[in-house]
Amino acid sequence: AGGSAGCSSFSAGCPSPSAFFVLSVKKDGEWKVLIVDHMSMRILSSCCKMSDILAEGVTIVEDINKRREPISSLEAIYLISPVEKSVHALINDFKDAAFTYKAAHIFFTDTCPDGLFTEIGRARVAKVIKTLKEINVAFLPYEAQVFSLDDPNSLYSFYSSKPNKDKDKMIENLAEQIATLCDTLKEYPAIRYRKGPEDNARLADEVYQRLTAHKADNPSMGEGADKARSQLLIVDRGFDPISPILHELTFQAMAYDLLDIKQDIYTYQTTGIGNSNDREVLLDEDDELWVQLRHMHIADVTKKVTELLRTFCESKRMCTDNANLKDLSQMLKKMPQYQKELSMYSTHLHLAEACMKTFKGSLDKLCEVEQDLAMGANAEGEPLKDAMKSIVPVLLNNEIGAYEKIRIILLYIFHKKRGIGEENLAKLIQHANIQADSNIITNLQNLGCNIIAGQTLPERRERTESTYQLSRWAPIIKDVMENAIEDKLDRKQWPFICDPAPINTTQTAVSARFGHWHKNKSPTEYRSGPRLIIFVIGGVSQSEMRSAYEVTRATDGKWEVLIGSSHILTPTSFLNDLKSLDQVPNPDC
Amino acid sequence: MRDRLRHLHQVQSDSEGLSSVEHDHLSVHEAATASSPPDPYLYGVLQEAQQIRLEIQQIQNEISELKDANYQALNKISHPAETERDSNAIGVAIKHRGEAVLQRLHMMSALRAELEARRGSSDPTERIAQTQYQCLSNALREVMISYNDTEMSHREACKQQIQRQMEVVGREVGEEDLEEMMESGELNVFSTQVEGKTARSAFLQTESRQKEVLELEKRIEGIQELFLDVAVLTEEQGGAVENIQKSVQNTEVIIQDAVVQLDRATTFDKSNPFKKLFCCCSFDHCKIL
Repeated sequence: AGGSAGCSSFSAGCPSPSAFFVLSVKKDGEWKVLIVDHMSMRILSSCCKMSDILAEGVTIVEDINKRREPISSLEAIYLISPVEKSVHALINDFKDAAFTYKAAHIFFTDTCPDGLFTEIGRARVAKVIKTLKEINVAFLPYEAQVFSLDDPNSLYSFYSSKPNKDKDKMIENLAEQIATLCDTLKEYPAIRYRKGPEDNARLADEVYQRLTAHKADNPSMGEGADKARSQLLIVDRGFDPISPILHELTFQAMAYDLLDIKQDIYTYQTTGIGNSNDREVLLDEDDELWVQLRHMHIADVTKKVTELLRTFCESKRMCTDNANLKDLSQMLKKMPQYQKELSMYSTHLHLAEACMKTFKGSLDKLCEVEQDLAMGANAEGEPLKDAMKSIVPVLLNNEIGAYEKIRIILLYIFHKKRGIGEENLAKLIQHANIQADSNIITNLQNLGCNIIAGQTLPERRERTESTYQLSRWAPIIKDVMENAIEDKLDRKQWPFICDPAPINTTQTAVSARFGHWHKNKSPTEYRSGPRLIIFVIGGVSQSEMRSAYEVTRATDGKWEVLIGSSHILTPTSFLNDLKSLDQVPNPDC
Repeated sequence: MRDRLRHLHQVQSDSEGLSSVEHDHLSVHEAATASSPPDPYLYGVLQEAQQIRLEIQQIQNEISELKDANYQALNKISHPAETERDSNAIGVAIKHRGEAVLQRLHMMSALRAELEARRGSSDPTERIAQTQYQCLSNALREVMISYNDTEMSHREACKQQIQRQMEVVGREVGEEDLEEMMESGELNVFSTQVEGKTARSAFLQTESRQKEVLELEKRIEGIQELFLDVAVLTEEQGGAVENIQKSVQNTEVIIQDAVVQLDRATTFDKSNPFKKLFCCCSFDHCKIL
């Protein structure tokens, strides 16, 4: 009861709740405490709901790093990363005369290093450990086709102006996380990287080593004739600096850019059944309407929601001439048994309205300029003649925020293939009055983008699909995805770590026991076709996430494209990340 | 998934010989008894939660029973067997049980509030009560939705049968018109044209179905207040209640800030002698906490 239905999370890789708490741990009538650290909490939160874990016999979830009161009559499940901080906290729980919990069941998200393992074995806690397993899930299945490694500091770690002495260790950890992703998906892909930045090759190499180690423990990875075609691509953020800063007009990208959505929770004021209050809604794949709407253009969203709401009302014989927001609260009072559905419609109507309100302010003009700069041509296809003329009014406009101006300036710079020159850059910064944030622009050079002298971005595939005027830009990664699938991706620009293995002609039956714990799906839905997995160093943008779905759909299900990164960007967060690149590490992080 | 319990036991037995092992003055048993006595409220909360859970399960069982009763009514004109309850009786049972569960949830909420007032919101029993309460409220709502869906399906099935029977007597009715007729109760409109055995049978069937729909709608009407109360309950809790991250992070912020500050001191400025002093003090402070 209360469990989540629908296609929540990773189509193939998301561990179901029961995968975390294997068989022996759940005992009828015996409740347990679940202890998590930050990373495991994030992973769990993206896979399961509270009612899921309650169904597994967990009655409370605690943060291992917070002060906890003993609950000595209950056993504890520790779902933690095998790192010093968490392991020491675990040991501390059983250090004193009085144990914090009755017993411990330990599940590490990844392989526990020998040193820490021995520490545990030698401590008092070892006497009360009933379970000790490594589950190899060190990534967040953010969406069905999007994963995250939950490290928002990654851009800094890779590209900061100060040398990072922990970089080797960091790359190893990253590689291990990516390997657990492939392990969970039962993939053993051919690894490629974008030639250029040294880190791409380094990471790719490290991933290969980790992947091979995982395969030794789990030989079923990559089994199946089609799987030999699977590929993993490592690419750096600097390869497409346009997509993360462009104003997008598709629902998800627009909402996250323009509104204040933290931890995927959208808050808005509404009158429900009770009095007017704040409603918090989680935007995730349990919301079927969100899944339907998130990649749609905003112009279509309101239309669609209104249409669906009208159909719904008609089917329930709720008479309403104008199914709008005000009527919804009336409907809710009359038919509270449809609270779930009505709330869902209300949420998305509000969300769409909020986006449009912010957009109509000043953004419509801005978007036009942005698209022209990004495409190098106007909506009619005529090449841009005097870009400077179109951006100056924007830069001089006091009502436009600093970050919006910076986005325009950057697009202008990228538009200029021969670079902008120091003098011109200084002039632009002055016109826009953004001196305080100007390091955002210069810091882009850390990503390999040549601001002053210019650079050519890759040649684009021709696109014939019709688009809205303000949505002509397609992320460069979309071209890469399509090329990779069509086996047209240039081997010199995207070298393989090792030559792709010959196609295995002996087909082995795939055991449904491993890795494929679809949340609400049967084992027969195991994906047998090839996968293209893309890892972006430094953050992935919403538009790039959308591309993964679009490209997948275009293959008619033959391929599945997954994309992910250390974290998911919004234009603001990306600019903030860039801003920090030349600064001293913040101890608060 | 790799099981490393055996490996752990190996490490344990290997280290038993070494002198570097922590000397265990207390056996595990002693440690268990040294711990504070179990909180009686905790046991009570978990017991009550389990009882409520069983009640909700019972409602679900009754919904299944209702499905059968509805189905039987649909396919026979005659009354169901003496030992089986009819739809109305089950409907009443569901309503009463639902109302009782709601009451118990209110009481659980009150208990939780009292625990919070007395012990603070970081008390584990209080938080366990909170978790159970939220989950059970959700479960109650789900089961009420299930009841509504079951009745609505039956209504639809009845409507379709009425439509078919009317076709049998040569009267084709569109959806909209049928709805209007059903709502106004004027299905006997064609009774005057009824002639012959087939037509008579069709007429009787239709009359039966119409009666069922009316009873069904009465049941729904009667339980409307319960629907409303449950909706208010879940609305009060907020939409993000199922979110694990929120649940973990909601624990008392004040203490968290203190711990974070200590962490900062420990990790980031080990070289500062002033802070070293602070670390030692705060570690002792931690122990006292």
